[in-house]
Amino acid sequence: MPPAAMPRPSAPVARPGSDERRLPRTLHPMAWWVWALALATAVSRTNNPLLLILVLVVLGYVITMRRTEAPWARGFKYYLYLAVSVVAIRVVFRALFATGVTPHDHFLFSLPHIPTPSWYAGIQLGGPVSLEALLSAAVDGLRLACMLCCIGAANTLANPKRALRVLPGALYELGVAVTVSISVAPQLVQSVQRVHRARRLRAGRTKGLRALRGIVVPVLEDALERSLRLAAAMDSRGYGRAGHATKRSRRLTGALLLLGMCGLCSGAYGLLDATAPKPLGLPSMAAGALLCVAGLRLGGRRVTRTSYRPDPWRFEEWAVAGCGVLSAVLLFADVGFNAAELNPSIYPLSWPTLPLVPTAAILLAGAAGFLAPPPLPTQAVRATPSVPAQHSEKATTA
Amino acid sequence: MTTRTLRALARAAGTLSLTVGALTVAAGPAAASPQPMGQCTTSAGAVLAVDFSRWGGPVYRSCGTTPTTGYELLNQGGWRTTGTGHDGPAFICRIGYSGYQGGKQFPPPAQDDCVLTPPASAYWSYWHADPGANTWEYSQLSAMLYKPKPGSVDLWIFGGTNVQGTEGRPTLSPDQLRAHNAQPTGGSAPQGSDATKKADPLPPRTDTGPAPEHPASPSPSPSGTSPTASPSPSASPSPSASAATSPSTAPPPGTSPKVVNAAPAADAAHDTGSMTPIAVTAGLVVLIGGAGGYAAMRRRRSE
Repeated sequence: MPPAAMPRPSAPVARPGSDERRLPRTLHPMAWWVWALALATAVSRTNNPLLLILVLVVLGYVITMRRTEAPWARGFKYYLYLAVSVVAIRVVFRALFATGVTPHDHFLFSLPHIPTPSWYAGIQLGGPVSLEALLSAAVDGLRLACMLCCIGAANTLANPKRALRVLPGALYELGVAVTVSISVAPQLVQSVQRVHRARRLRAGRTKGLRALRGIVVPVLEDALERSLRLAAAMDSRGYGRAGHATKRSRRLTGALLLLGMCGLCSGAYGLLDATAPKPLGLPSMAAGALLCVAGLRLGGRRVTRTSYRPDPWRFEEWAVAGCGVLSAVLLFADVGFNAAELNPSIYPLSWPTLPLVPTAAILLAGAAGFLAPPPLPTQAVRATPSVPAQHSEKATTA
Repeated sequence: MTTRTLRALARAAGTLSLTVGALTVAAGPAAASPQPMGQCTTSAGAVLAVDFSRWGGPVYRSCGTTPTTGYELLNQGGWRTTGTGHDGPAFICRIGYSGYQGGKQFPPPAQDDCVLTPPASAYWSYWHADPGANTWEYSQLSAMLYKPKPGSVDLWIFGGTNVQGTEGRPTLSPDQLRAHNAQPTGGSAPQGSDATKKADPLPPRTDTGPAPEHPASPSPSPSGTSPTASPSPSASPSPSASAATSPSTAPPPGTSPKVVNAAPAADAAHDTGSMTPIAVTAGLVVLIGGAGGYAAMRRRRSE
């Protein structure tokens, strides 16, 4: 990590407000990812609806405080829609595929029951639905929804193109493909808007089927033009060169990676299946991981890369990643609270409790909202040269 | 127009509900109730046995009337179970008896949090022995669907099983657990009916699964070794009516756990907790939400 970043081309202006004494900059994308994945891990530990709601609120707070105005930074509400639909699907399925009603339950309503033959009696369709069944389905769905929102928060807060730069060198082709594909949609929208505007200025038709032809052709031409330019630019920067890898080293890399993946697979199987023999678990996992790392190192040697304007990793990055990891560690440590409080009982119904240590851990993760540096203001984001210069208006001449 | 449409709709709905009602198997409320152990005979009542030996406890056995389901048998007279969050109450994850350690349910949360389906290496496996049979049969139905026959034995043991059925079989034989008396012994009525909790009637239209193949099998299967046909003269397995938790069968030599009769008891008290944590959470949500909203407002004003 270089001690200091290069000066930005456009010196960002400090925004008035609570953060006025701090220099706005973008946080290292990996710091956000570590923070969000750690929080998702912490969420996987608990089924307590109060803690899950707190996680959602903390995510919302951090996003409000630290998101930029970039296109990917406006997507959190779609993750919230996804979360709501996850909970709804879970509740509906629990009501349709009845899991049985006990005499102690609070009976809510009864769905028409479709009888199943005796050899298929394990699955029941319809029947009585209890409050407990719906609540447990909702809480279960809420946990998955929280984990989805954690991933959504990382996608909202971190710049996806910059995050791809931390891929190991051996996988750079994959990174290139992903970068190109995620920049296609915004570029298409941009060129459609431009063509549309040009037609309107010329008092041309902007609606209807015939106008569609007048828009689609220039947009396609624009896309072709762009991809040719991109290909030329990538070629001039040395992408797609095989490098000086011999046949032997390529074979060795392939063998190492293949063996490593096999090790990881059998390791995961051994860890998850309790009846599997002991050496299949952790040792196999560790050996597989080692082999994979060796393969990636070896494969990365044929690619020599330099990084342009590397993202610095400073105190703020440590703080954000650290508070996420610490919250996960606290929830898994089982110290200072009763583990049963993380999974309040639904059968029989009881009010959930709010254990002190997990609550503090989740609030600690929310500290990322003010530990991270304030985001670059809108003008500075637009001025960075990572956005390609405006294309000539050639496309609109069609 | 609208009224006619509405009326047509209502008629259609009525027909549909009638059809649906005809389709559903009308299950009469099962009047299952816990009984003292002496009420179970070779041909009446179902014996429930639960093995707590994993946690240093005995094998409890109690008696319930038929018709019943395996689930009801396990949720009356002081017995309670907990399902998993993933599968609902039908998957028995914990079992507790109010007469053993104050109704604490096993396995405790430290051993299994009962959120997901427990692993095949540590779960409550469910075994049946039909009247007269002296071998255990692994239950092919869930506890809510299985209907024990009169005179049969239901056994729950904690541990692991394998697909082949060679591991995790019960160490006790059905004959060590079942009732051997042909006539009920002791008091006729379930004692202290005000203190004991009967299984409540199931909600309407509950599917309790297929009916048992032999609803009433008064004649036990003619297996030669079956000891059930003759009322056993030995005094050991016939407890007196007042026997609450008296050891009955003498433990056979070896490591077999002790068998103890579990009398019908009142349910263990359940604390529903307080609503203060919810109020605290609501306060925190308002606080954090307010802070975020304030910051967003300031940012918008400054731009």
